[in-house]
Amino acid sequence: MNDSISEMETRSARHLEDANMHVVRTRGLSKAFGTITALEGLDLDIPKGCVYGMIGPNGSGKTTTIRILNGLLRASSGKAWLMDEAVPVTSNIHRIGYMPQEMAIYMDLTVLENLELFAGMYSMRGERFKERAGHLLDMIDLKDRGCSLVSELSGGMKHRVSLACALIHDPELVFLDEPTVGVDPELRAGFWDYFSELKRAGKTVVLTTHYMDEAVRCDRVGMMRLGRMIAEDTPEGLTESTGTDNLEDAFLRKAREGGG
Amino acid sequence: MNPGRVVAIAMKTLRSLRHDRRTAGFLVLMPLFMIAIFGYTFGGAIKDVDVVVVNLDEGGATGSVADRIVADLETREVLRIEYLDQPEAGEDAVREGRAWALIFFTPDFTSRVEAAIDASRASSFADIGLLDLYLDATNPNIAQAVITEVQTAIQSVLIDHYHVNPVIVMNEHMVYGADAEFIDFFAPGVMGLAAMMITFMLSIISFVRERSTGTLDRLLTTPVTEGEIVGGYALAFGVVALIQSTVILVAAMLLFQVAIEGSALMVLLTIFLLGVGSQGLGFLLSSIAKNEFQAVQFTPLILFPSILLAGVFWPLEAVPDILRPVSDFIPLTYAVDACRSIMIRGWGIAEVWPQLVVLAGFAAATLLLSAYSLKKRG
Repeated sequence: MNDSISEMETRSARHLEDANMHVVRTRGLSKAFGTITALEGLDLDIPKGCVYGMIGPNGSGKTTTIRILNGLLRASSGKAWLMDEAVPVTSNIHRIGYMPQEMAIYMDLTVLENLELFAGMYSMRGERFKERAGHLLDMIDLKDRGCSLVSELSGGMKHRVSLACALIHDPELVFLDEPTVGVDPELRAGFWDYFSELKRAGKTVVLTTHYMDEAVRCDRVGMMRLGRMIAEDTPEGLTESTGTDNLEDAFLRKAREGGG
Repeated sequence: MNPGRVVAIAMKTLRSLRHDRRTAGFLVLMPLFMIAIFGYTFGGAIKDVDVVVVNLDEGGATGSVADRIVADLETREVLRIEYLDQPEAGEDAVREGRAWALIFFTPDFTSRVEAAIDASRASSFADIGLLDLYLDATNPNIAQAVITEVQTAIQSVLIDHYHVNPVIVMNEHMVYGADAEFIDFFAPGVMGLAAMMITFMLSIISFVRERSTGTLDRLLTTPVTEGEIVGGYALAFGVVALIQSTVILVAAMLLFQVAIEGSALMVLLTIFLLGVGSQGLGFLLSSIAKNEFQAVQFTPLILFPSILLAGVFWPLEAVPDILRPVSDFIPLTYAVDACRSIMIRGWGIAEVWPQLVVLAGFAAATLLLSAYSLKKRG
């Protein structure tokens, strides 16, 4: 017990030095809904320019974490910082993007109107918007569907529009909650290419997924189970330390070690 | 408050209405439909009421009083008279619903009337003229119309033929609404009702959808503030209410020759405030409704008291004492009162400002509470 506290102190001391290296930090972040503990004592340090994957089954606390970080939920205890500003952030809010798990776009607007609305929230208009929207429509492969109503698009297309809305203001840090659910394999590969592209541009991507196979493409992976982080490392580190050859087995091994 | 973001939210709301052609059409046609239906059904005066006259009057030296009364009735269109010979047949017609009333003159009608007139001139007391009226008063409006009509005929016959002048004559001076018909009275009411109903419904359904689809959460993770979201919606639905009331005003003027004595802009301002307040109310109640189905069920809950107690069709004076305080709490009451005063009495801001203050207070309160309800999250 004492060990872990002193360990935490040294860790946080270390992080104070290179705080600006970590765009997401949490300390002892917990959330309870009534008697149910959704998240317990989460310590996160996500470095800038990294693709960070949170993996774990439904109910493991991934979405709760993301919602707390985005200011949609208040933590029961613990603290969190985004770019050194305590959540809920205000002055950094325009540097952050969020794609919720639900589609969360307007079905009765066109693709471009959706983009324009979210751009408007960041006071992005005119030529700057047109240029950015064109680029994103290209990226999500919906160049000719800009004027289509979202309700007329297929499920996968809607998902892509939702991703584009999260990226319209060119955020430095973007949270993607299950961005690849219901997206066909080809497009999913395209998404991952784009995440790598974001990373190369120095952006940080924090995403959740329950597809263990695609988590290998993350720089770092946090394994969540029953509201706790049970392991965190590079994908290779996780497989090596558990003596397995894939993340799925690594997760199961860690889950057993964790006493579950 | 960033005006750009308020406008962006308002634009988004109006655009989604525009894409939904059926709803957009409904927004314009519904008030048109309402004013047309109400206008044509309630708008005209009562006429062609079926009645039976059984006239057995044998008359007197100067002719029959009954004939003169009937002749007087025939000069107007309120009653459509069928003549029968037997009072029993007339009564049957009323009982079987073929006529609303039987007007029955007995054989001695004229002699009794003349005796009564002579007696009153001689300052003595004699028999009185008796006219039997059998009424089906199922519809009080019709029953009242028949009674008024017969009394009018009696009065004019007495004055014209027997020179029995009434002792007191009422000298009516119409301070306001000299030419006002029933349509002028309720057109302002329908306008307020339509604006309130539509903005409330649109608002509660939109926000239930915003909550259930996650778009509201998503908006809240952007720099937009709660106040800007609420303000944007208020602006959009205020505009919708304005468009609607313009449609109603124009329709009322063209179809029913409703006159606007005061300023049309003042009427629109009143409706705008009511629309903004109603959308705020919808917003507030949307946090209680879990889905769109539940949201729709709130509509009659808000609507019925407003229709019945806000003086839209029935005057506030007809509301029972116990319910009067409820009327005072319904914003529509103030909107209808203000619109009526502007349109019929020609009043301006100097006279209707108290109503406008109440409506502005209603709008401000619901909007502030809405913004606050968004801020309060777990």
